[in-house]
Amino acid sequence: MRILDLAYILALGAGLGLGTAHWAVAGRPALGKIEVGAWAAWPRSGGRDVDPYMRAYLARGVHLPLGSGEGLELIAEHDDDGQALDGRCRYRLSGATPPARSWTIGITDGEGLPFRLPLERRSFTDSEIVRPEDGRMLIVAAATPEAGNWLPLPVSGRFQIRLRLYDTPISTQTGETRAANLPRIARLDCR
Amino acid sequence: MNALDHGTMAAHPPAGHWRARLRAGLARAIMTTLAGLMLAAIVHIVTILAVPALSQRDAAHAYRELGTEGHAALVPPPGNPQGLPPLREADPDVVTAICSYDLSAGPVRVVARTGALPLGLTLHRQGGGVIYAITDRAAIRDVLEFLVMTEAQRDERIAADEEGETSRELRVVSDTEQGLIVARVLMRLPSDRADAEALATGVACETAG
Repeated sequence: MRILDLAYILALGAGLGLGTAHWAVAGRPALGKIEVGAWAAWPRSGGRDVDPYMRAYLARGVHLPLGSGEGLELIAEHDDDGQALDGRCRYRLSGATPPARSWTIGITDGEGLPFRLPLERRSFTDSEIVRPEDGRMLIVAAATPEAGNWLPLPVSGRFQIRLRLYDTPISTQTGETRAANLPRIARLDCR
Repeated sequence: MNALDHGTMAAHPPAGHWRARLRAGLARAIMTTLAGLMLAAIVHIVTILAVPALSQRDAAHAYRELGTEGHAALVPPPGNPQGLPPLREADPDVVTAICSYDLSAGPVRVVARTGALPLGLTLHRQGGGVIYAITDRAAIRDVLEFLVMTEAQRDERIAADEEGETSRELRVVSDTEQGLIVARVLMRLPSDRADAEALATGVACETAG
């Protein structure tokens, strides 16, 4: 009976321990995540004090995160109403961007890779967009062509919007940033 | 009469006896499960801490051969002839060049000339973690320069410094002997690619005497 007990303890310990460790770092870990509106960021991923879960996640693939003093990456997987981003819908990205020397905004799949679309427009930089009179940002993300700043989406399926701010003071105080200081993601309509 | 009683008891043990056995079995199952859960917690923590040290698929291993000729080399695109894996979660508007460093032969001097495009330099130690980040805003007369060294090499340099004089060089301590120096240049417009690549690959990283 004792051997059975020992085998049970070892199987439970190894199975559950390895299983939960794999699950915890298979994607970006929940620990260290800061959410502002629809955007999520992991500001400590680019510093010396990176937490063990983020460190393990980064070590499992070829990652080179932005350094804390270099910039900040924000990822949106859902719109302002909390609905998952879907290629069948049209989205309006508007509003302000935090103070930064430069920024880029792009569409990627869940792994952070750009989609292979017929049109070579995967992202915009702050120098590329056409701005209205008030100087604010206005981009429409849709699978079909749009007037103005248009970011093509895949015809269907989930996607992410990645906003990268370069040389920004908010990388050290991301948690104190208000949602109003980041671009809003509004769903316009769906097919 | 007594013998008859004894026989009846052997065939049908009292309910109290079964209850005690059931309780003992349950206690044993709870104890072994608790022990299993405690072991699982230990295995979980040890695995998470061991992954960065044991991983052979991280950027420091994948790009170990890049930029060993004294200047940064561009991260090759997916499907390159060297068979290097592509950089994950990379910004398509950024040109990335890498200098792999090994401090066993001495400190490494990094010199970057700045240009019109935003340039960022970061130091990624082996096993994860950015140990230093600087942008071209910190450049003095359009040059960014710093020395990467181990703690022991820094102590040696401090000992060799002239008494009473302040050293003007920027010293960055790396807690691992190997790592990557990453130069990122943002292309504001697609036509900036050639300038961005020249700026990124122009980052010099040589072993300092």
